Amino acid sequence: MKFKKLCIMFAFCSFFLYAGLIVSLAYFFRGALFVETLFNERTFFSIRLSVSAATIATLISLCIAIPSAYALSRCHFPGKGIIDTMLELPMIVSPAALGAMLLIFFSNPAGSWLQQHGVQFVFAFPGIILAQFITTAGIATRLIKAAMDEIPGKYEDVASSLGASPLKSFLTVTLPLSKRGIIAGAILTWAKALGEFGATITIAGSMAMKTETIPIAIFMSLSNADIERTVILIFILIGIGIGVLYGTRLLLRKMPYDWK
Amino acid sequence: MRHMMFVAGSVFFAIIFSTAAFALSEERLMLFAGAASKPPAEEAVKLFEKNTGVRVEVIFGGSGYVLSQMILAKKGDIYFPGSSDYMEKAKREGYVYPETERIVVYLVPAINVQKGNPKHIKNLEDLARPGIKVAIANPEGVCVGAYAVEIIEKNFTKKQKKDFKKNIVNYTESCAKTLTVVSLKLVDAVIGWSVFQHWNPETVETIPLKSNEVVRVGYIPIAVSTFTKNKVLAEQFVDFIISEEVRSIFKKHQYFSSEQEAFAWIGQKPVGGEYAVPAEWTGK
Repeated sequence: MKFKKLCIMFAFCSFFLYAGLIVSLAYFFRGALFVETLFNERTFFSIRLSVSAATIATLISLCIAIPSAYALSRCHFPGKGIIDTMLELPMIVSPAALGAMLLIFFSNPAGSWLQQHGVQFVFAFPGIILAQFITTAGIATRLIKAAMDEIPGKYEDVASSLGASPLKSFLTVTLPLSKRGIIAGAILTWAKALGEFGATITIAGSMAMKTETIPIAIFMSLSNADIERTVILIFILIGIGIGVLYGTRLLLRKMPYDWK
Repeated sequence: MRHMMFVAGSVFFAIIFSTAAFALSEERLMLFAGAASKPPAEEAVKLFEKNTGVRVEVIFGGSGYVLSQMILAKKGDIYFPGSSDYMEKAKREGYVYPETERIVVYLVPAINVQKGNPKHIKNLEDLARPGIKVAIANPEGVCVGAYAVEIIEKNFTKKQKKDFKKNIVNYTESCAKTLTVVSLKLVDAVIGWSVFQHWNPETVETIPLKSNEVVRVGYIPIAVSTFTKNKVLAEQFVDFIISEEVRSIFKKHQYFSSEQEAFAWIGQKPVGGEYAVPAEWTGK
């Protein structure tokens, strides 16, 4: 019992650590400026941009992460170890370095050609999605792989012995059983994409009403030595992030596999 | 074994305590500096440390960003922004002692293009030409961006301004990034400082603006922060930075070390001051 109480105390310590930081923002909080900033067209644009880019980046990450995670979890093939290690790249390399790598790639002949004949990434909306995708895809794969590793392979073997094709056994056995892990991975991926800053500003720039996401708006406000506005934008980012994550958790409680 | 552990532990604590005691007894200065002066400022700091034995901790970044850091940390002995705009703000809000402000070097706005000028950009009007990709520093947080907007607002007609805005691919978040985007050939031109050419001579060249196009000459100021606990030493550092020895370092990096040098390059202009960037450029 004592041990459990101690663990609960640690949980509250973590909560108060973050809650304390949020409360400390109130020191620079100005109510009138909050209303003005919240209903400002530029802020609306930044919110819309951040949410839509994070959602698209998450969906693309999941499209790549689910099959990759399955391959890494279930199959044996040459180079598996290298691929597995490479997934940690976004965690080893800082986001700003990842952004610089992207910027350097697009200044090379291959990257320039891609920009001229395909999609314009540098200083444009697709650049935000690319930056967020690059920083989250590896993490999403790692999280989903962990969920799939938990599911015994024998379930698929049973499905195969009953005549199911590999695709069918994946779709009807592995995928439903790992649903909980995939949703958890998706939520974390979205949250990380929403708060992504370093890679995004490096490749997409900081222009208001074009590529200014909420984290970039926070940085630019601080760069303008405008601390009051910085605080309000941080509140907005926290409000959106925590609100969406908490709302998703409430919704998921109604699902058969949840975090209870 | 126990004896060995005791000796190892004693040595470990002796090192920790002596390091801490040394760190506490050592005279230190904290400098918040804009990135516009990074290469020569680093050289100057090293020289000051060598001459005096005083350790100088430098925090580099955007001029506004480091000002925010200084305000929030309530620390710092010297503020050394990349141009006068943020020094004006720091003076107005009481974060530096106005009487300690000194001008270190001068900066002149100019067009910076890729080496060899492949798009044949010869003047300001060319930046509004169809198909030219331009970037400027974010006028909200980076001083050279505010200078760029001021130049466009003064010189361009409504149509030229519209065309120029169409050519802007984005804003960069720092002085250095403004140079980087040209170096990496991601844009054809930027409005930066004339000195950019000397920061990266292999990839960038400067196209001077016409004298009547330039509104103000910028300068890099320095002043003692009101958060300092050692004003005398901070003033000593400021005096050192404006000494001939340090000016020669800035000169080596091709900064204009006097008004006369800057005027000889671009003609007589007002020096420094602040510019209120119109809302249409910042989306406010």
